[in-house]
Amino acid sequence: MPSSPDPVFAGLGQAVQIGTNLLATLMVGGGVGWSIDSYVLPTQPWGLVGGLVLGLIAGIRNAYRTAQRLS
Amino acid sequence: MEDPLHPFELHTIVPLSLFGLDVSINKAVIMMFVVVGLVILLLTKARSSGSLVPTKLQSMAELLVEFIRGMIHDTMGPEGMRFFPLIATLFLFILFCNLLGLMPGAYTVTSQLVVTGVFALGVYVLSILVGLKIHGMKFLSILVPSGTPGWLLPLMVPIEIISQLARPVSLSVRLFANMTAGHVILGVLFGLAISGGLLIGWLPFSFTVALYGLEVGIAFIQAYIFTILTCVYMGDAFHLH
Repeated sequence: MPSSPDPVFAGLGQAVQIGTNLLATLMVGGGVGWSIDSYVLPTQPWGLVGGLVLGLIAGIRNAYRTAQRLS
Repeated sequence: MEDPLHPFELHTIVPLSLFGLDVSINKAVIMMFVVVGLVILLLTKARSSGSLVPTKLQSMAELLVEFIRGMIHDTMGPEGMRFFPLIATLFLFILFCNLLGLMPGAYTVTSQLVVTGVFALGVYVLSILVGLKIHGMKFLSILVPSGTPGWLLPLMVPIEIISQLARPVSLSVRLFANMTAGHVILGVLFGLAISGGLLIGWLPFSFTVALYGLEVGIAFIQAYIFTILTCVYMGDAFHLH
């Protein structure tokens, strides 16, 4: 994210993003995995597990990217 | 003590139905009308004088336009000015919803996940449509981070899809959770102040006053974050990395 007119606001905006992004990717990953389990394939727990792991990786990767842009 | 989530319940005031859909008027709908009316009134009043030496209201409106234009230029570049009306409307609506919701007796519209969810989903779908229109099928390359070795693709593409899908979720949940949590804390502390009486009640009451100031700041910051992230997502649609 490029710099905005107000440096305090811009930094805060980027920092606040990290926490919610972690949560959101985990929710989406788990949700996608769970729906694959229940409606598409009979892979009972493994879709959910795989989805959660992918969501976690995505969240950490996003947090890392945001932190790198901050520094 | 009262249930702290009680103020967020909505009760139908005027029951209405349109083609079988429930479009009843409740407190949130009235608040949205008030917000829209207030924004239109303030901005038309700021515009009406139109003098070279601006009045107070006019210079505030000019400051606002400059602020939003700077935001768009930084994230989307000059071609993003096409979306100025959308971004400005979003910013003003969310800001006034947050601020007016802080008035005692009013209702914070942005504390409903439905409202923020529709905003976030609408913005996200629009950004994808814009990207598809500008770049065509090449737009799908946002799912492949640059410099990924071929054997990692089966892992990276699902991860990218998840982080794309997480964008509207985090956008809507952030605004909704911030507003709801702030108002719950204010309500609980004020309830403590009342039940504490004069002897000890001044302590939670002073916390309420301090937190109220913080909430005003949060109202601005959350509106700003929502709009700047909208700009960033739109900018991603304009410029493929």
